[in-house]
Amino acid sequence: MKRWLNGSVRDVDQAPIDRLRRFPREPDILVDGLRSLGALIIRGLLHVYNDFEIIGHENLRTNRSLVIVANHCSHIDTLCLLAALPLRKLHRAFPAAASDYFFQSLPRLWAAAILVNALPFARQARIRQTLLLCRELLANPGTILIIFPEGTRSTTGEVGEFKSGIGAVVAGRDVAVVPSFIDGSFKAWPKGKRFPRPGKVRLIVGTARNYRDRGTDKTDMCAITAELRDAVNQLRPVNGSD
Amino acid sequence: MSPQIALHDPIFRAYFWIVLISLAVAGAILGFLRFVLKKETASMFKTYWSWIFIAGIGFIVVFLGRIPTIVGVTFLALYAFKEFARASGLYRDSWMTVAVYAGILTVGIASLISDPRGKEPAPGWYGFFGAVPAFAIALILFIPILRNRARGELQRIALAIIGFVYIGWMFGHLGFMANARNAYGLICYIIFATALTDVAAFTFGKIFGRHPFRSEISPNKTWEGAFGALGVAMILPWLLRFSFPFFGTWQLILTGLIVGIGGQLGDLSISVIKRDIGTKDMAATISGHGGILDRIDSLVYAAPLFMHMAGYYYPLR
Repeated sequence: MKRWLNGSVRDVDQAPIDRLRRFPREPDILVDGLRSLGALIIRGLLHVYNDFEIIGHENLRTNRSLVIVANHCSHIDTLCLLAALPLRKLHRAFPAAASDYFFQSLPRLWAAAILVNALPFARQARIRQTLLLCRELLANPGTILIIFPEGTRSTTGEVGEFKSGIGAVVAGRDVAVVPSFIDGSFKAWPKGKRFPRPGKVRLIVGTARNYRDRGTDKTDMCAITAELRDAVNQLRPVNGSD
Repeated sequence: MSPQIALHDPIFRAYFWIVLISLAVAGAILGFLRFVLKKETASMFKTYWSWIFIAGIGFIVVFLGRIPTIVGVTFLALYAFKEFARASGLYRDSWMTVAVYAGILTVGIASLISDPRGKEPAPGWYGFFGAVPAFAIALILFIPILRNRARGELQRIALAIIGFVYIGWMFGHLGFMANARNAYGLICYIIFATALTDVAAFTFGKIFGRHPFRSEISPNKTWEGAFGALGVAMILPWLLRFSFPFFGTWQLILTGLIVGIGGQLGDLSISVIKRDIGTKDMAATISGHGGILDRIDSLVYAAPLFMHMAGYYYPLR
């Protein structure tokens, strides 16, 4: 008889903590269950506590691979973007999170790997490898990457400069890139504050773009990056809360 | 079983001191090897620290009473099955995995509740406990039919059934023993004896081991280790006779054989599975021991045999 199950899962010889640290993570029923449960609770809290509202939800309705690009001033941003996705897509959605911040201490690792399903993004070294990993992930249809191209949380609430890595991920690829703007998260939970405060948070999702016809050289990458920053900035509500 | 009873139970208290002294003696021997004889003991110390951890958790759970013991055994069985499923690849089939999880949970529930039609209220529904495998296997066989699949299903069915019956139901007997009148004696003895026999097999093998025992299954095991462990297992029931004062000579001999031979067969059974899969350990959950399943392998085999032997001669409840 031929064997149909091809042997052990890939991380069988790793301790539970190391299994959370590795990426791509092997699917785990317990982790998936906790993530779905956590997502339900987070969605409930966002609606009750922050009066969360999504504008342009229809722009996220696709079964193809997707890169969501957004401004970043708070941990709430990631939760908002995840809350905009249907639950069944949650385990295929990977917010890029700084590996030097989220993948070191245990509580942050648990939050990043279990609740958020984060992709460890190397900010200092080996950026090229991480970008390559992002491109490989997007080759699987149905993958959702959530990227904050500023690379860190803004301390003023303004949209900072975008790092050109985002251009490298999407240039010349047939993936939908969705710019979006999160409004109110800076007031609700700015960098350095321990706990979030109540306050209106709004997610504005723009229309998808595609950069398959663009080249992959440096000028094109920088141009795409600048275009995406403009697109995100244009979604800012005129009389927004900040 | 409850914290108040455990505090005043002479058997539970005796085991507390026996385990404490055993760990202290083992620590002293390891320390002697390391600091006086300057032997390489780093890996043994890693295993030793984990033993202390395991003993601590085990005592707390048994001390807390019947329900925590059954719940603890059920969680252990769930996790051990998960390790088996991950190592064998069954885990990729989440339907089968969840079906076996449901079966293991049912074993735990059958151990917790009492027979709704029973004449006297006795803890644990023994009739249902014995019937769970029939229902679990029925559920496992139903899944390919539900999903309209045949390719490779025999392998999945077989893995799910062995996973449920062996790791879920047979190990679940350890939890059911918490319903026995003499629960502290039975549970503490079987856990302590299988653990000590494991250590004895390792120690005798390390010191006297020359002749390979089952070279195709586990290359490090030796005849000397196996006989040393059997010897320890045969003496132990007499030394710890207070655990089951109602046992006669014949029952004490059977207890020794179940632990001495059954425990080692349990170890080797899991080794057969690991060898065929091609992994050294089922997982890396406990530092210095491998997976949960690598730690409880002897107990899985010996606990149900011990419970049924004891139950044959003396009513458990």
